[in-house]
Amino acid sequence: MTGVPTQPTGSTVRKTNSGAGRALVAVYGIFALAATARASVQLLTKFEQAPLAYLLSALAALIYIVATITLARGTRASRRLALVAIIIELVGVIVVGTLSVVEPQAFPRATVWSVYGIGYGFVPLVLPILGLAWLWHTRSVNS
Amino acid sequence: MIDALAYVLVALAGVAVIWGLVTAAANKPPGKAQLLFAAGVEIVTVVQSIIAAVKLAAGFRPVELATTIGYLIGIVILIPIAWLWANVERNRFSGVVLAVAALGVLAMTLRLLVLWTPAV
Repeated sequence: MTGVPTQPTGSTVRKTNSGAGRALVAVYGIFALAATARASVQLLTKFEQAPLAYLLSALAALIYIVATITLARGTRASRRLALVAIIIELVGVIVVGTLSVVEPQAFPRATVWSVYGIGYGFVPLVLPILGLAWLWHTRSVNS
Repeated sequence: MIDALAYVLVALAGVAVIWGLVTAAANKPPGKAQLLFAAGVEIVTVVQSIIAAVKLAAGFRPVELATTIGYLIGIVILIPIAWLWANVERNRFSGVVLAVAALGVLAMTLRLLVLWTPAV
């Protein structure tokens, strides 16, 4: 995937919304949009079919929205919120991903995190790792 | 949806993805032609959503109506937002941002092609 924050972006002050961070925010934004749309449709039209899966969809959507906004703001306070959101995201994709493989009947309908985000090219699994790497990469200047 | 138009859009979006990655690899911000091309992809995207909306209004009912409508609306806002976001700070990552949005348009168009199946 694109936007891998593997190299320093120069000697300028590094904020989470600068350099490679802009690409990361773009990917988070797409997932915020996709997850929100998916969760809205699920909750509004067929909530009773799989309440747990659909509530998790909504949680995923909320996490992506928070991560997008906090990374895009790039202030000291927003970094902390971003860290919390991305850790929840990582735990969520691992737990839901594992449960959906081990206990598929608990997730009769797909969520963005099912099977580690297989429906989205496993980007949901890679994204929180990139997010944490990016927060680490930009830490000295901004935190 | 018109299949041929959808495939044209997939191809155009694919070019935009590659173009964005190429300028990023060359460590250049997106050029004027590239930005105009992205605008062109957006125009085709809007045309596609309008055509689909007209067909829905005319009575076509896909299996997952709500999801389809969500995709048709969501797909048109990707490139405009990415365009603004890419132009605030112009460098190699502006191209990556455009590539990400174009990849989103590409993926959503492919998904729409699958969704565009009449409900029985």
